[in-house]
Amino acid sequence: MTKLEAKNIVKNFGHNDYKLKALDNLNLKIEDGDFVCLVGPSGCGKSTFLRIVAGLDTPDGGEILFDGKPVTSTGPERILVFQEGALFPWLKVRDNVEFGLKIAGIPKDEREQISNRYLEMMQLTKFANSYTFQLSTGMKQRVAIARALAMDPDVLLMDEPFASLDAQTRDLLLVEMQLIWEKTKKTIVFVTHNVAEAVVLGNKVIVMKHRPTSVKKEISIDYKRPRLAEDENLLKFQKEIISELRPEVTEKPSSE
Amino acid sequence: MAKYLGKKIAFYVILIAVWQVVAMANIWPNTIFPSPSEVAEDLAYGVADGSLFYGIATSMWRLIVGLSIAIAGGVVLGIFMARVEIVNQTIGSLVLGLQSIPSIAWVPLAILWFGLTDSGIIFVTAIGAMFAVTINTYTGVKNIDPNYIAAARNMGAKGSQLVTNVLIPAAFPYMISGFKQGWAFAWRGVIGAELLFSFLGLGFLLNVGRQLNDVSQVIAIMIVIMGMGILIDGFVFKRIENKVMYRWGLR
Repeated sequence: MTKLEAKNIVKNFGHNDYKLKALDNLNLKIEDGDFVCLVGPSGCGKSTFLRIVAGLDTPDGGEILFDGKPVTSTGPERILVFQEGALFPWLKVRDNVEFGLKIAGIPKDEREQISNRYLEMMQLTKFANSYTFQLSTGMKQRVAIARALAMDPDVLLMDEPFASLDAQTRDLLLVEMQLIWEKTKKTIVFVTHNVAEAVVLGNKVIVMKHRPTSVKKEISIDYKRPRLAEDENLLKFQKEIISELRPEVTEKPSSE
Repeated sequence: MAKYLGKKIAFYVILIAVWQVVAMANIWPNTIFPSPSEVAEDLAYGVADGSLFYGIATSMWRLIVGLSIAIAGGVVLGIFMARVEIVNQTIGSLVLGLQSIPSIAWVPLAILWFGLTDSGIIFVTAIGAMFAVTINTYTGVKNIDPNYIAAARNMGAKGSQLVTNVLIPAAFPYMISGFKQGWAFAWRGVIGAELLFSFLGLGFLLNVGRQLNDVSQVIAIMIVIMGMGILIDGFVFKRIENKVMYRWGLR
C-alpha cells in the first residue's frame, strides 16, 4: 500500500532576480513499512523535500499525498528528526521526549509510561533527568529519535541525523536504527549524502538528481539484516549508487 | 568569588576609614560633610523608629507592582513585535522612541493623570521599565533557532502553546537580561518619582533629609537605596540568571 506519494513537487527559493529551483517535478512513491534512503549531492533539496512532507514548508507546485489524502499542514503522523536534533535546551531529556505528548494533552502517568519505553529503547534511562548540554552528540541524536518515536508517527522523516556523529557512534546507531525499524514497523524516509549509510539502512535507495532535484533512480537493497557498515557484500550496491551519483556531483547546479 | 571576599571587605573598611579621617580633619563643616559614624547613627535612628523599614516596604511594594506590570506588558509586546511584522513596523518603531524617554520625564504626566497617588508612582515605574523588557524579549524571540519552532510545530504546538512552551523558554536567556535592565530602570523610576511626588517611600525620605538640611540622613538613605539594589540584583536576578545559564550549558 502506498503510504506517501509526491506528485510533481516544485519548490523555488529566492525571489525575482535570483531564483533557484530546488525541486523540479519530483515524483516518488513510498510504500507502507518501507525504509527508504534518499541520497544525493549536498544541497540538492533533499531536506526541503522532507520539510514539505512534514508540512513545515509548502511546495510551489504539486502535492504530497499521505494515505491518499493531500498534506496541508504539520501532523503527528509525520515527524521529522532534525540534522542537529533541535532538542530543547531548557527541558530535561525526559521532558524533551514527552514534549509532543504534553502538547497533545496526554496525562502525566501515560506520558511517563511512553517516555520510559523509548528512553529504555534508546538506552537513555540513566539520563532522563539530564539537560541536553550534558549529553554527547550521539546521545542527543538518540534523544531526538526517542522524541520522534514517542509521537508514534506513521512516518519517520530523518534529515541526515547522523551527519555530525563520529564513526563509532554512527555504526552503533546504524544497527539500532535497523532494530527500531524491525520492532516498530514504521515507514522511514531517511535523507543522507553518505552512500554507505544509505545501503546499510534502506531497503530502497532513491538517487536524486542535482538541482533542480528529481528522482534519478530507485535501487532495491535485498540483503539480510542487521547489516553492518563494514560488510563487503554491500559494496556492490554502493558502487551501483555511486556510479549513478557521480555525474550529479560533478555537474554544476543550474539556476535560472 | 570567595577568593576576593577578604579583599572586598578590606576595601570597604579602608573606604570608610578614609571617609572618617577626612570628616575628622574638619575641612568642611560636618553639616555639609558628615562622618560615617553620624550616618550610621542616622541609620540606627531610622531602624529604631521604624521609619526606614516603612520607607523600604513602601518603595519595594511600588517596585514590585510596577516591575510586574512592566514585565507582563513588555513580554507580550516583545513577542508580538517579533512574530508579527506589522506590529514591529508600527508599534515597534514607537517603542524605540519611547525607550529614550527617562522615567522621570513621565512624572509630570503621571501627576496630571493620577494625582499624587501610588498609582502615579507605579505608572512611572512600569513605563520606565517596560520598553527595556520589550526590546530584549523581541531580540530573544528573533534569535530563537528556527529549528526549535519547526520541531515544536511538527509535534503539534501552535498558538498560545507555542508561545508558552517554546517562544518564552527559548527566548528566556535574553529576557532575563531585559528583566535585569527593567529592574534597574524601575528602581531608578520609583526613587525618582517618590522624590518628585513627595509621597512616602525612600525617595520621600531623601527629600525630607534635604528639606531638613540633614546631610547625614540623605547619605544614609542613599546607602540604603544602593544596598537594596545590590541585594535584589544578587539574590533575585543573579540567581535566576545562573539557573538559566546552567540549564543551557552556557556556564
